[in-house]
Amino acid sequence: MTVFLATRLVLRRSPPLLWRRSFSRAAVEAEKDTVAVPSLPLFDYSPPPYAGPTADEILAKRREYLSPSILHFYKNPVNIVEGKKQYLFDEKGRRYVDAFGGIATVCCGHCHPDVVEAIVNQTKKLQHSTVLYLNNAIADFAQALTSKLPGNLKVVFFTNSGTEANELAILIARLYTGCHDIISLRNAYHGNAAGTMGATAQSIWKFNVVQSGVHHAVNPDPYRGIFGSDGEKYARDVQDIINFGTSGNVAAFISEAIQGVGGIIELAPGYLPAVYNTIKKTGGLFIADEVQAGFGRTGSHFWGFEAHNVVPDIVTMAKGIGNGIPLGAVVTTPEIAEVLTRRSYFNTFGGNPVCTAAGLAVLKVIEKEQLQQNAFVVGSYLKERLTALKDKYELIGDVRGRGLMLGVELVTDRELKTPAKGETLHVMDQMKELGVLIGKGGYYGNVFRITPPLCFTKEDADFVADAMDLTLSRM
Amino acid sequence: MAAMQRPLKRTIAIAKQRACFSSLLPSAAAAAAADTVAPPQLPPFDHQPHPYNGPSADEVFAKRKTFLGPSVFHYYKKPLNIVEGKMQYLYDDSGRRYLDAFAGIVTVSCGHCHPEILNAITEQSKLLQHATTIYLHHTIGDFAEALAAKMPGNLKVVYFVNSGSEANELAMMMARLYTGNLGMISLRNAYHGGSSSTLGLTALNSWKYPIPEGHVHHVMNPDPYHGAFGTDAASYANDVQDHIDYGTSGKVAGFIAESIQGVGGAVELAPGYLKLVYDIIHKAGGVCIADEVQTGFGRTGSHYWGFETQGVIPDIVTMAKGIGNGLPLGAVVTTPEIASVMAQKIQFNTFGGNPVCSAGGLAVLRVLDKEKRQAHCADVGSYLLERLRFLMERHDIIGNVRGRGLMVGLELVTDRTNKTPAKAETAVVFEKLRELGVLVGKGGLHGNVFRIKPPMCFSKDDADFLVDALDYSLSKL
Repeated sequence: MTVFLATRLVLRRSPPLLWRRSFSRAAVEAEKDTVAVPSLPLFDYSPPPYAGPTADEILAKRREYLSPSILHFYKNPVNIVEGKKQYLFDEKGRRYVDAFGGIATVCCGHCHPDVVEAIVNQTKKLQHSTVLYLNNAIADFAQALTSKLPGNLKVVFFTNSGTEANELAILIARLYTGCHDIISLRNAYHGNAAGTMGATAQSIWKFNVVQSGVHHAVNPDPYRGIFGSDGEKYARDVQDIINFGTSGNVAAFISEAIQGVGGIIELAPGYLPAVYNTIKKTGGLFIADEVQAGFGRTGSHFWGFEAHNVVPDIVTMAKGIGNGIPLGAVVTTPEIAEVLTRRSYFNTFGGNPVCTAAGLAVLKVIEKEQLQQNAFVVGSYLKERLTALKDKYELIGDVRGRGLMLGVELVTDRELKTPAKGETLHVMDQMKELGVLIGKGGYYGNVFRITPPLCFTKEDADFVADAMDLTLSRM
Repeated sequence: MAAMQRPLKRTIAIAKQRACFSSLLPSAAAAAAADTVAPPQLPPFDHQPHPYNGPSADEVFAKRKTFLGPSVFHYYKKPLNIVEGKMQYLYDDSGRRYLDAFAGIVTVSCGHCHPEILNAITEQSKLLQHATTIYLHHTIGDFAEALAAKMPGNLKVVYFVNSGSEANELAMMMARLYTGNLGMISLRNAYHGGSSSTLGLTALNSWKYPIPEGHVHHVMNPDPYHGAFGTDAASYANDVQDHIDYGTSGKVAGFIAESIQGVGGAVELAPGYLKLVYDIIHKAGGVCIADEVQTGFGRTGSHYWGFETQGVIPDIVTMAKGIGNGLPLGAVVTTPEIASVMAQKIQFNTFGGNPVCSAGGLAVLRVLDKEKRQAHCADVGSYLLERLRFLMERHDIIGNVRGRGLMVGLELVTDRTNKTPAKAETAVVFEKLRELGVLVGKGGLHGNVFRIKPPMCFSKDDADFLVDALDYSLSKL
């Protein structure tokens, strides 16, 4: 393999390519003068002066008192003290476009007044009491949530995170089928608790502890995958895993409609329907992890799985569901939900009044402000602009995603798709300096994840694209 | 490639024409044609079986159904009551002789009731049958020494167990202790045992009960015939790297593979595969385990161990089956460094390395050397493969002939292009072969592969008989 790569590298150093590179460099030099420093879109708000501890003081405390595994972005981590809509403000009052949404979590915008009001009102009235007593907040939210789901997906279990939701979904599937095996995709992220760490499939997130009963199918990645966009061929790997790696029956298949942490990878067309059929034939359940792709973020649909024409048996959600409040949910059919009555199942904070009031408010805001539609319009526009940047810069290997769930992959060699790790970090830092906070992901950490609050505007999109344009032009 | 394909296509066309022509024959003519081909006869063998006066097949079968677990399965519509064995032959209760082309599932390596092995067993049994490794005895050391002498590199420390499953269990534990990692990787289509842990490594749904299988994953099978990448070892090896990158912490305990998959249907691995994968595994902090339970002891002909055909030296080698010509015996051989991890706690195996099995195992090694069984496997095995490949040209239903030495697989398919498993046809031919006096194995996920792995004293005459019987049986389909 090394010899093969070396040979290709040698071949690539032939004169025509050198000429092309020289030309590109000259073009870049010429372009430099024409790419203006972009200005943040207008926003009618001035944050009050910040009187709290400095970034350095906070960082020192984090290092001393918090887990060493807590990581941060940027050489000089940004001290965020206030948020408003799609913007964040640091301790100096500087404004940033939040193109990451607190990791695809803030969907309505920071401190959306309707959501904040719902939280404050409920908190003043009753913060917590437990589901052992009745309360309308949990029931109203469950009803509103299920009205968004197709088929017979009408029963809700509330949790406090996506990890908890996926843990519960996997447990339910195992109980319902009597089987233990779960199949997930390589490059997936489904959580980091004992059970979900098994389903998560990226080495950086998997600790060296026992992870039993999970199988990882070849990722149907149109860009890097071995079968390109041929969904059927990837689906055969799932059948192969079932034939050889299991008893012939499985508990469930779980996947994200678009892989979030994995670098905004859309699944090859035709893949999910084919896998759905395979799984159903073996008596397994189909779990759609909508923790990131749900709540209208993909623009064309409310749920990511809807773009693939399948109706899952179980849907899990979190992140955007509460605009940042600790909330997750599992929705399934009455028949499947029944399994949890075999023993006691309880979640102390699951469905608590404050979080469910917030969740209900989020659903109302998404509808009232037509945020799914906005994700579609602005997302399509942004994707177009990013694709134009790809035409302009060799460093951009791929632009993908849907709605406001977009990925830009940087590679140093388009043919070899060599991850541009160093360049990615550099661009990230430079974009921060220009006022854009963006996400990073993918196995190699070379993919920009753009998952802003769904109230993102075309002006914001222009700003992000312009900032990336300027940064890339300076490299 | 195109040039090679052309002759094959022409052959298929000719075969199809012949088939069409045959189907047009009047039934009388067909019957006449059948009458002209006499069923093949067993090669002569100078042995008269003892008269049998034990219980009948029906009585034995009734007891099995009443008192034994329902999972104990049998071959043939009318199960055989085998009462005597001699070299490569078996005898049933009516004194009928059969050519044993399966060797008790690749176990009888030197031949049934080989006199030198019988002598070693009976002499040791008379002297001391069992005492335990808490006390000394020379047989276990002598056998370990002889076994280590057959291993390459620094594979010099032996642990004795009583089966291949036990051997693979122990190897897996060593791998985890030595590396500090937990994840094991095996190949789809592999068989490594039926115990609760090795069942995880095994990757054929017909053998896997629905219980938690531990921290194990199954990567793509580098199957030249059915595999997604044909004989491209690098692409299959990439799947291992991909699995490590995404499905593990980046670290693994070990990788285990049979050099030729036994239960999986005598599938050889794409050339060069193990070398690539062993490198990948070592970089991920893991150890490489070669499961030689079926491929060991010279059966592949060209080498003593199957892994040698791929030009690698494993970190751990497991063996059983042929090691004792049928005695309950298995072994794990590894380096002193890896072996030392077992000293962290107490490790003990009551019957492991017992005097009778050690003496028997040592006798097997001597017989294999003295009778030059490895070279014999190369010689007769090559001849057999050649004849089977010729048979493939005559019968469209034979989709693939593969294997090495006397570890051979013959896959039946109803459609060569789609490689559709010919399950029903396999079952019919299987029964027909038995009627003709040939006992053969069956394998592969779809049960459409004949496994031909006879005692290594199998002769060219036996090979001829086997192929003639196959030819005859396939002609009757």
